[in-house]
Amino acid sequence: MTQHSLISPRTLDSETDSPSECLFEAVGLEKKFEDGRVQALRGVTFSVSEGEFVAITGPSGCGKTTLLQMLGALDRPTAGTLFYRGNSIPDLPDPSIYRAHEIGFIFQAFHLLPTFTALENVQIPMFECGLSISERRDRAISLLKSVGLEHRLNHFPAKLSGGERQRVAIARSLANRPSVLLADEPTGNLDSENTRLILELIDRVHREQNMTLMLVTHDMSIAKGASRTIYMKDGRIVSDRKSTVAED
Amino acid sequence: MCRIASRPLPKINMTFFTVIARGLTRRPIRTGLTLLGIAIGIAAVVALVGISRGFNRSWAAGLKARGTDVVVSNMGGSLIPKPFSASVRDRIAHLPHVAATCAIFVDVTSVENAEMMMVSAREWDGFAWKNLKLISGRMPHDSTEPAVVLGRTAADVLKKKVGDPIQIETRELSVVGIVDGNAWVENSSVILSLPLFQEITGNQGKINVIDIRVTPSASAKDVELLCDQINRLVPEGRAVVASENMSNSEASRMVRAMSWSTSLLAVLVGVLGVMNTMLMNVFERTQEICVLLALGWKRSRIVRMILWESALLGSLGGVVGVLIGAIGVKVLGATPAIRGLLEPDLSATLVAMSVALAIAVGVISGLYPAWRSSQLQPSRALRG
Repeated sequence: MTQHSLISPRTLDSETDSPSECLFEAVGLEKKFEDGRVQALRGVTFSVSEGEFVAITGPSGCGKTTLLQMLGALDRPTAGTLFYRGNSIPDLPDPSIYRAHEIGFIFQAFHLLPTFTALENVQIPMFECGLSISERRDRAISLLKSVGLEHRLNHFPAKLSGGERQRVAIARSLANRPSVLLADEPTGNLDSENTRLILELIDRVHREQNMTLMLVTHDMSIAKGASRTIYMKDGRIVSDRKSTVAED
Repeated sequence: MCRIASRPLPKINMTFFTVIARGLTRRPIRTGLTLLGIAIGIAAVVALVGISRGFNRSWAAGLKARGTDVVVSNMGGSLIPKPFSASVRDRIAHLPHVAATCAIFVDVTSVENAEMMMVSAREWDGFAWKNLKLISGRMPHDSTEPAVVLGRTAADVLKKKVGDPIQIETRELSVVGIVDGNAWVENSSVILSLPLFQEITGNQGKINVIDIRVTPSASAKDVELLCDQINRLVPEGRAVVASENMSNSEASRMVRAMSWSTSLLAVLVGVLGVMNTMLMNVFERTQEICVLLALGWKRSRIVRMILWESALLGSLGGVVGVLIGAIGVKVLGATPAIRGLLEPDLSATLVAMSVALAIAVGVISGLYPAWRSSQLQPSRALRG
């Protein structure tokens, strides 16, 4: 596998292959922590097609976030295989290229950099994709406008509401036009109104850009919006089913 | 109804340098104190090395102004040469390529209110008098006249003018002239005849410097051979080419070594300060760095970010340190106790060297924190 296979022009041009193409494929994925005393994942096997909206749900400590870390190449599995477009994620020569170009992360705690404005925060991931200063700026403005924050461009995170911060974080996750959005409890720190707005926004991004969305949540009502729900318990997938509501 | 017009966005472009600068401004007080720590270290370098170099340079300039080619003296471990018999001059005067000699007794002593003043007693009618240009008054009539001439800086420091009395040791002499000696060390001196000073200080028959002028036809090799010959003939002193007189002396080497060791100690404190700040910075920003890694930043970019931050801290500390050092020596030089004795050499080379040292301090101090930051796991971004 070459590094360039993960920075394909297809991805950057926002073109997508047919929805049925297999994007992620995990077989027997295991993850142990603390010298094997804690096992977060126990033989997880699943596949995700391009353009799917998959909710990963389950009780606290069931391995949802660990699974998301594996998908985002933030951590390596202890055993098993995990492929992205046929390429082994644990064997990527430089996972940062994969993270920069293929993956957009949305965190529960937003994780905006406090000393940078909304506009600057959105530009942070773009340093790794060779854009000029003006291209970075123009793209960041466009992204912030698309999430309804054109009036908050030069505000620092401390001056933004929780919902606004998460919208900046969503704009940031889209900065390098990734193929996949990985969202870890994106509404966990928000009130019900902002939860609704953020879920609508994420869903809109997923639909408009035909982006694959993997959303971790322990809230079943949120999972209902997904086209497919994977339910985990004790590090195992206990159910994996398509959502009829989403399909409708 | 009033309508608020939409304001155009300020065109502030974000570069990698913006990221580096923000890293330092997030804790302005800590950054400021660290910067001050480096600045004090660099100020010590500028002041101590500048003073030490300045002393050597001024001494060499004084010898050049007097037209001296070779100096015979015994510097030993002190800044003032040790006395030896005036008869040594007779052993030297007839040697080949020696055109003229001038016996001198130089001392640094308190004169009235000035705690340290250069006193230069010169063989009457010797060539060392010839470079002195009268600004006011006159030269002493003869070697026995109880009179001195003052270099213009010395006159300023002592607040003396022509006709004023001046106390040297226990004798009251008269200021008969103010002179310009065309060199800082000459202008900062009280100049009088050698026999008069020998009598006042009880050093009859003693001198501590012999200035030698060589014949115009003497080559550098001839001068070198002359020095060797003198050194064989005169065990009491050592002959060196004038330009190397002070820099070759044991005292000067000792002063230089002390200046550098004190400076480097101060710089070491600066290194520890920057390293502590950058480590704290990395610890505090662990989550932030992990987020950057999760967003696709390469570890090499994180390392560069930390190294640039510490280098920027070092360079700013260097610039501030040079300013503090330069102002410090000026203030020190203006204090009554040593006014007229200090002419620091704050050359562009010293300034550039000090700033380069500060940047090196920054980079070296940032190496370990940068390595620590590169070891962070991006998976921590999803925790908390």
